[in-house]
Amino acid sequence: MGPSSREAALRLAALTKTFGRRTVVDHIDLEVPRGSFFGLVGPNGAGKTTSLSMAVGLLRPDGGRAEIFGLDVWADPARAKQLIGVLPDGLSMPERLTGRELLRFTGLLRGMDVEEVERRADELLEVLELDQAERTLVMAYSTGMRKKIGLATALLHAPRLLVLDEPLEAVDPVSAATIKVILKRFVRAGGSVVFSSHVMAVVEQLCDHVAVIASGRVVASGPLEAVRAGRSLEERFVSLVGGQVPEMGELAWLSS
Amino acid sequence: MAVLLIQMKLAVLRHSMTGRRAAQMITGALTGLALAGGLIVLAGRDHPIASLPFDLLGVGFALWTAGWLLGPALFGGGDETLRPEHFSLLSFTPRRLAVGLAGAAFVGVAPLVTLVAFSALVVVAVKAGFGAAATTVGVAAVALQLVVCVLASRLVTAVLGQVMRSKAGAALAALVSAAILAALHSSWVLSPLAQAALRTGFPAPFSAWVAALPSGWGLVAVRAAGQGQWPTVATALAGLAGLGVACWYGWAALLKRRLTTRRASGRPVRVASGRWATGPVTAVAARELRTWSRDLLRFHYLVFALCYALVFCLLPLAIGAPILLPWTGALFALWVAAVSANLYGEDGTELWGKMMIPGAARHDVRGRQLAWLLVTAPPTLALTVAAVALTGEFGLWPWLTALVPALLGGGAGVTVLVSVLRPVPMTDPHRRSGNLLENGTDFAQVLMVLILTAATAAPAFFAVRLGPAWAGPVVGLAGGLALAWLLGRLAATRLESSAPELLLHLRTGVSPRRRRPAPALDLARPHLPKPDLGVEKLGLMLAPAGRRAYVVASLTLCWVLLVAQGIVPALMLTTGQVTRSWFLALHLPQHLQWPTIIAMITLGLVLLTTGLGIGLYYLAKSRRAGIAPADGP
Ligand SMILES: Nc1ncnc2c1ncn2[C@@H]1O[C@H](COP(=O)(O)OP(=O)(O)O)[C@@H](O)[C@H]1O
Ligand SMILES: [Mg+2]
Repeated sequence: MGPSSREAALRLAALTKTFGRRTVVDHIDLEVPRGSFFGLVGPNGAGKTTSLSMAVGLLRPDGGRAEIFGLDVWADPARAKQLIGVLPDGLSMPERLTGRELLRFTGLLRGMDVEEVERRADELLEVLELDQAERTLVMAYSTGMRKKIGLATALLHAPRLLVLDEPLEAVDPVSAATIKVILKRFVRAGGSVVFSSHVMAVVEQLCDHVAVIASGRVVASGPLEAVRAGRSLEERFVSLVGGQVPEMGELAWLSS
Repeated sequence: MAVLLIQMKLAVLRHSMTGRRAAQMITGALTGLALAGGLIVLAGRDHPIASLPFDLLGVGFALWTAGWLLGPALFGGGDETLRPEHFSLLSFTPRRLAVGLAGAAFVGVAPLVTLVAFSALVVVAVKAGFGAAATTVGVAAVALQLVVCVLASRLVTAVLGQVMRSKAGAALAALVSAAILAALHSSWVLSPLAQAALRTGFPAPFSAWVAALPSGWGLVAVRAAGQGQWPTVATALAGLAGLGVACWYGWAALLKRRLTTRRASGRPVRVASGRWATGPVTAVAARELRTWSRDLLRFHYLVFALCYALVFCLLPLAIGAPILLPWTGALFALWVAAVSANLYGEDGTELWGKMMIPGAARHDVRGRQLAWLLVTAPPTLALTVAAVALTGEFGLWPWLTALVPALLGGGAGVTVLVSVLRPVPMTDPHRRSGNLLENGTDFAQVLMVLILTAATAAPAFFAVRLGPAWAGPVVGLAGGLALAWLLGRLAATRLESSAPELLLHLRTGVSPRRRRPAPALDLARPHLPKPDLGVEKLGLMLAPAGRRAYVVASLTLCWVLLVAQGIVPALMLTTGQVTRSWFLALHLPQHLQWPTIIAMITLGLVLLTTGLGIGLYYLAKSRRAGIAPADGP
């Protein structure tokens, strides 16, 4: 029944999306090994959000395949979606619920048992330090709180793969630390994480695998050390994406 | 202090008398003066009945005062030439500041025009030949009425400023817009009434009400002075003065609050336990019920439906026709359906969450239907039962037991199906501003759902009309259940198969069905393009003037033909409760009555559909134009 043990957690094959005449994601191939902490980096507008949306079944691709533990997301969505938890970027949630109600109703909609939902919701709210906001609507949450309650919803049904789009974007340092701890714990317990970011330091700190995408194509991918090739990820990224690290000596008048 | 503030205000007014502001101010002043002149002419004319000028002026003053009270809240801000915050750092006590600002409030064009309008009170006293004493009373009353008007306007605007972003504000806005719309739609009721009143005088209860409103107290004083009833004069004038003082006190207190407290954000909500939600469908229903009560827009819509039904059905009582009263519940259900057929559009991109849960589409649709029924059915049934009990129209039972279940079931089906098939993308809830007016309603959708839902009651209607006594209720109930089930199923199937396209539509505001390149998405822009108010919102600015006029005229007129000259007389004939009034068909010989009614309804429908069709065409056109990329690919 379960996915075979050799399959990658997430595999994208020639995934393509065109908006109008512009190809935003251009035949992306990507393999996220199971048990890995996978960072997807790229400048703004590179196509990270579009790729991840197609990978999890939120945006219909124009071509290519997306597989989760060997299950085709677009051909067998029901089984594939059971295995993933998703935190998209910039989409809304059931805004007129409190955090606890959100978890409760989401769990029930998934067909989970009432007691089990409540137990998990209690734990998640406590671990994510959201239990003080018991009577606040998600609408009124700060960015950090929104990301945390989104992460809690993604974790509620104990998925095997987390797909997170910019989970640390605009999040305060305290919330960010909490989120990082939870993600590390999830990977240690055997789960797999894919997350996108344009902040290299975070990726370097957390991930064991990375892929760099620019203008809708993968320009490098593999274990972090291999992609870095002895340099810092930031330098490597800039050289891959095509910018230049400014030579010292330019703007010399700045150093008085 | 007051003198200083008045000088400041005069200076501000002088400096702002340039260009467009000045043009606006002058246009406003001229319009106001024309209306005020109308009141004075009314007061100075000969009338067939002695009490008539007083009643007419009473109505005029009441409307004028209502304009002062609600105008600022409805049309923006109120007079904030001098903002109290500007003075909060100076060492005035709030009370002295309130005195000063109150004094300054009387400087301006609007109070001046109002003074002219209210001076009709003096004119009517002179015209009636009440003598010098009554004229003096009139002068005093004019001054007091102006004071009350200006201060009450300040007070009401301040109160509304505090509640407008809350549920109370949403309810109030709904009440006012529903009352205006329903009164317009059933103003046919008032026209024979007004004509009769101009000939024979207003009915006594009406006169009593007009005189009892504070806006009528000045008239009461003048009339009493004319008849030498000095205690009444003193009471009325003292009442006005007292009201003015009370308004000032209230306003001063709010001013103090405004200057000393900060607005809290993220107010805690009341949390219901929701124990009854134990499965997927009930969980969705519980979530929806919370949305109905917590979301300002949804709450606004719900109150609107209720107020519309009440005003529309109660207003004909003014001509002694309780004919619409038993249908209040049904009309309420119809309107709730009309304003809640954008469930997915209102929730915005939240749809992604359901897409990630296998099998959630079906549960979501069924849960929304359940919640819709839980919200709509109890008031509908209560209104229906109460109205029937009040009017004693027990003979209507076959109709009501057939049509009400049919409408409820039909509404539960139509709303979810239209929500899925024709969503109107809106800004995500957490990014909306508190201002309800900014989240424009899509009138085309409202009309469409009104017609569709009403159509779902057709089988029940024909069952009652043509079948045996038991047929109506059976067909109504069975038909309602079947439609709710069937349309819900269609909605769920559609949602399951095209959720990604729906999400893209809600996210970008562009329908995926359109065979043309999607525009570049501006990721820095958090909002969907906001619809403008008025003609632009209807997309009519692209239409040639003739068609624009036709759309507006046909969509306004069709209601008169369809409802006032069609459905209402039809109802009267079916129920045998005939009030001829101005219903053309009922004045004709018997064999022409039904053909006339059918012709009226047909004509109304033709106007409605053509107007709607042309309107929708330009709406679609303007949407495309509005969304098309400025730079191109
Ligand atoms: N629905 C859409 N319609 C048109 N263009 C889009 C749409 N969604 C994304 N794009 C474009 O695709 C490009 C990639 O976007 P995205 O995947 O969000 O980038 P990233 O997440 O890497 O910042 C951007 O240039 C964006 O403007
Ligand atoms: Mg992105």
